Amino acid sequence: MRRRRLYGLAAVGAAAALTLAACSSSGSSSSSGGNGSGAGSAPAFNAGVTSVVNPSTHKGGTLTFDWRAAPDSFDPGNTYYAAVWNFARFYSTALMTFKNCPGACGKTLVPALATAPGVASDNGLTWTYHIKPGVKYQDGTAVTTKDVKYAIERTFDRGVLSNGPNYFTNLLGGNAKTYPGPYKDRAKNLMGLTAIDTPDATTIVFHLKAPFSDMDYLMTIPQSAPVPPDKDTGASYQTHIVSTGPYKFQSYALNKTAVLVPNTQWNASMFPTVSQLPSKIVVNMNMNPNDVDNRLLAGDAQVDFAGTGVQAAARAKILANPTLKAQSDDPITGFGWFFYIDSQVAPFTNLACRQAIQYAANHLTLQNAYGGPVAGGAIASTVMPPTVAGYEKFDLYGATTKTQGDPAKAKQLLQTCGQPNGFSTGIAYRSDRPTETQGAQALQQALSAVGIKLTLHGYPSATYFTNFAGVPKYMSSHNIGIAFGGWGADWPDGYGFLSQLVSGPSIVPAGNTNIGMLNDPVVNDLFTKAQGITDATQRNAIWGQIDRQVMKDSVIVPIVYAKALIYRPPSLTNVYFNQAYQLNNYAVQGVTGG
Amino acid sequence: MVTFIIRRLIGTIFLLIVVSMITFAIFFLIPRLAGQTTYQLAAQYVGRNPTRDAILQVERQLGLADPLYLQFGRFLRGIVFGAHYRTGPTDTYCPPPCFGYSFRSQLPVWPQMVSDIPVTLSLAIGASVLWLIGGVSIGVLSALRRGTLFDRFSMGVALAGVSLPIFFTGLIALELFSYKWPIFPNVQYVPFTTNPLLWARNLVLPWVVLAFLYAALYARLTRAGMLETMSEDYIRTARAKGLPERKVIVKHGLRAALTPIVTIFGMDLGLLLGGAIITEVTFSLHGLGLFTVQAINNQDLPEILGVTMLAAFFIVIANLVVDIFYAVLDPRVRY
Repeated sequence: MRRRRLYGLAAVGAAAALTLAACSSSGSSSSSGGNGSGAGSAPAFNAGVTSVVNPSTHKGGTLTFDWRAAPDSFDPGNTYYAAVWNFARFYSTALMTFKNCPGACGKTLVPALATAPGVASDNGLTWTYHIKPGVKYQDGTAVTTKDVKYAIERTFDRGVLSNGPNYFTNLLGGNAKTYPGPYKDRAKNLMGLTAIDTPDATTIVFHLKAPFSDMDYLMTIPQSAPVPPDKDTGASYQTHIVSTGPYKFQSYALNKTAVLVPNTQWNASMFPTVSQLPSKIVVNMNMNPNDVDNRLLAGDAQVDFAGTGVQAAARAKILANPTLKAQSDDPITGFGWFFYIDSQVAPFTNLACRQAIQYAANHLTLQNAYGGPVAGGAIASTVMPPTVAGYEKFDLYGATTKTQGDPAKAKQLLQTCGQPNGFSTGIAYRSDRPTETQGAQALQQALSAVGIKLTLHGYPSATYFTNFAGVPKYMSSHNIGIAFGGWGADWPDGYGFLSQLVSGPSIVPAGNTNIGMLNDPVVNDLFTKAQGITDATQRNAIWGQIDRQVMKDSVIVPIVYAKALIYRPPSLTNVYFNQAYQLNNYAVQGVTGG
Repeated sequence: MVTFIIRRLIGTIFLLIVVSMITFAIFFLIPRLAGQTTYQLAAQYVGRNPTRDAILQVERQLGLADPLYLQFGRFLRGIVFGAHYRTGPTDTYCPPPCFGYSFRSQLPVWPQMVSDIPVTLSLAIGASVLWLIGGVSIGVLSALRRGTLFDRFSMGVALAGVSLPIFFTGLIALELFSYKWPIFPNVQYVPFTTNPLLWARNLVLPWVVLAFLYAALYARLTRAGMLETMSEDYIRTARAKGLPERKVIVKHGLRAALTPIVTIFGMDLGLLLGGAIITEVTFSLHGLGLFTVQAINNQDLPEILGVTMLAAFFIVIANLVVDIFYAVLDPRVRY
């Protein structure tokens, strides 16, 4: 799961900010920065969801990103933040990427460093890629497939680079299971991973332990971007990354400010999926969330790096002002909020008891807890959001029709599961996230109506998965049967969204994300079957089947398909929402003027 | 005097060791007593997506399963001699004073804090000058014009200053003077060495907001002190001797009234140097206060431990300076 951070600091001063919003909602449209739009049509609310707003090829100016947080790492091999994966295309080039276009088209896979999508062997166990010849690092040295192999190898040392996903560790064959990474294994010229071959400077061959048809999607992750072994310094590589993208780091004060300038060694004709428009890119980190919004509205910054939408104060300001509203988008982001039901904690070992929760939940109050229909999202009835390939619309429990729940049906199911008077259980949530705190309280109230007594257990976000909700033993020993969670796909298809959430093999003793503890042979078999199918349409049909089966198993209660109110300053060009990154597409943006 | 300073310095070092022991115990002993395993502790040192092996590796590497006195010894040793951490193809050396290595930001803690100190220093020094001059002046004038409209108005403003939290006044100031009427637009910290004018311009709002809170307190304290002092017999004597009123007020009245102000000023400045948390968060200033908030949000124990030690250091040093200053003013304190 790519992480999206929620920021406790947002709460500080929220009341004051709202007051300010109230007294300054009029007339603020004139404060928008920039000098007008380019050749695009007049901006309209949600225009950026389906079309490119303010298209332009203008070069120059400074594109300023403000971020209320800081990256887990800018190192392409050590990050799991959606926003960083999106931003990393400015300075790193993975083997594959997504097409430059709004709407569903943006989920189309296209080659980046590779010349074409991977070619799978007949048994699906070997994937071969060729990289574009003549690609150079910022210092002019040539990129070879050995650098790609090394970049992947270094991610095996989880003690040093522990932030990124571990798909390669889990999927590759050869000695992948025991390979410690190049920092420990200095032998064999740093090329000790036998699961990857590099027969020549432009060919790379991956040997898998089982067929995996999402390989091209996996290659969009920045972990496959080349890293020169002689320039790698491990954890501190993040402060002097060697670029292969259109920009390179001029300076980076860790967690404060990064400045990127054009990379003169980058060849635009080779990489049509990224642009080199602004003459400088600045990222300001750890900013006050309300200040980020104000700076966007004032034109001091163009992009909210997090891309998860404006705060309550700015939201009120934008929605009340038609001009500002026309400069905003409210897309379904592709992120889903839900709560798990742990099928190993009694009485949820009984399917009917789990299904009773589906009916007892009040979806409307939960939606409000998450910010309402604009900032929170649309009431969900499936695990996968509509933007994920393989999504199939269905509503087994009437979440979207009986939005306030169906207590009568819930009571009936409680009878079936042998708990006619209800029962007691605990709920885990991240207490530093106001949405989950309010959600837990809303659920507590809704379940009490059918006799289910919920005890609230709030935990800090930082250790939520490693020490509490993600530790099955902890959940069962503390009688916690429900846990809040959220998910964004690592790539926009069913595998990317569902595999870590509901597949049996994903269950681990700590850091577990299959908190529903679902180990359904039907689901597991469907995952295996899908990975043997190379045809995307057939595969997508299976994701829909898995989603339906998971909802039948009732280990997840969807709350909302997340939405985010994103403001587009008029000075920002080439703006549109990208469904693959679940954010605006940063790598093509420019600014007017300058 | 020299003996006094040496004695106080030894006391300060002893105090810092005690503070470090208490801080260390809070982070490493209390969680153990509460049932936290060393594995769970190690999980907080690893990045955001750790495997079990990675956590075990960190547990071993940091010796978290060792007895606490050994761990504390290593911690002190790191502060004095530095330490090495395995972070890639080669070890990363954390030079003294090494407060540990942050596995979240993947850098030693001390250099991160050092880069934040100029911001906090700029904020604290500038604001303290403002509040000291403003607060004391208003306090003196209020005392001298007791009961007048000026006195009532300034004390009313002072009451507001004490009552209004910085995250409110800060946001108001930003909204009005940075966005609505952009007198101070695009407020971001610029190092003094880069551009002194921009440094000052961008710090005006944080200085004023922070000083507003403290000046209010100092104005009320000064007023009360001055009222008490000016009714003393020796003031009447000074006037009876025919001294000019300005000399009576400044030399005899204000000097005596300032004694408690100096004490509080030393403490306040010491506290602020440890991080003006709310001001820094409100104005997105990357000082020690914001560093502290991030460390707490990330549950980054080495960073929290480091910044706690540094804040304690500033307070202890501020106390030391105040004590020495007292000793200069009043020889009785030296004995």
